[in-house]
Amino acid sequence: MVVFALLIINKAGGLIYNREFHSGLNKLSSNDLLILAGTFHGVHAITRSLTPHRWLPESESSPAGKATGIEVLESSTFRMQCFQTITGTKFLLFTEPHQPNIDAILRRIYELYADYVMKNPFYTVEMPIRCEKFDRGLDGFVKAKA
Amino acid sequence: MVVYSFYIFDRHTECIYSRRWIPTRPLSASSKTIRPQSGSSITSNGDTGPAVRKGFSKEDDAKLIFGTVFSLRNMVRRLGGDEDHFISYRTGEYKLHYYETPTRMKFVMLTDTKTNNLRVVLHQIWANLYVEFVVKNPLSPVEHPGGIGVANELFEMGLDSFIVRIIQSSNLSPFNTNDNTEIRFSSLNTLN
Repeated sequence: MVVFALLIINKAGGLIYNREFHSGLNKLSSNDLLILAGTFHGVHAITRSLTPHRWLPESESSPAGKATGIEVLESSTFRMQCFQTITGTKFLLFTEPHQPNIDAILRRIYELYADYVMKNPFYTVEMPIRCEKFDRGLDGFVKAKA
Repeated sequence: MVVYSFYIFDRHTECIYSRRWIPTRPLSASSKTIRPQSGSSITSNGDTGPAVRKGFSKEDDAKLIFGTVFSLRNMVRRLGGDEDHFISYRTGEYKLHYYETPTRMKFVMLTDTKTNNLRVVLHQIWANLYVEFVVKNPLSPVEHPGGIGVANELFEMGLDSFIVRIIQSSNLSPFNTNDNTEIRFSSLNTLN
């Protein structure tokens, strides 16, 4: 299995963490990565409002407010899965196109984030993540999977 | 399989054909003047705001869809290189399929989330319907500003029967467990 990269975007659309595990995607400068994160944040919000269910009569449409933005994006060289926490933080995981079980991987990464980032008393929320234990935890987890 | 809508954009970013296969709720007369409030709720992405907004006009929808696929296509190209293609994305409610011709025309289709990749289908719509009935039509202009010449009878009939055939073949497949699969033809809205 190949996991290319992980990006974490805070609820304001700022990039707070990026990590490349495996080469395969183009190298982007940190400025380009920030642009990418901001663009994705905006597109995610638009895709949420584009849902065709809003045209249906009230009874047929899904429960209001449940609309989600992009969950999976497929291209010919990679697949991107987006997991949004209930507080609005987005985890983007780039993998190869036919990667199974990405949900479980993202769930585990979220656990690592909760344990090593959110419980770190020196971490300020919504700010870039610099936690060595989180880095090591991710490395260990992704390498063990590979 | 349910098909919600279908759009064609030309290389000048204009929507030259759009089609919905879902019943539209009657919009109030004032809804035309209420534009989506960009800046307020679109940019803030907190989960508190109303996610489902009603009352976009068809034109607004087409513009939003174009902006979305344009941004995503650029993002994919930046990450995967110039040979990479953006294929589709899925949300909890729908799936958007994308196909771009070498002349940079964009074909977009919205379906339910269980549908497999429709890139081949969009390619066939381009090759077998668009090229045959629009490009080869001697009465149709070369460019289609405002959609002139695209929505002719042969193209629309061909599109309808093609989509019905695809939906029927997908409903016959043994893997399909969705029982709410009939296509909704109750209103045919064509952008002219």
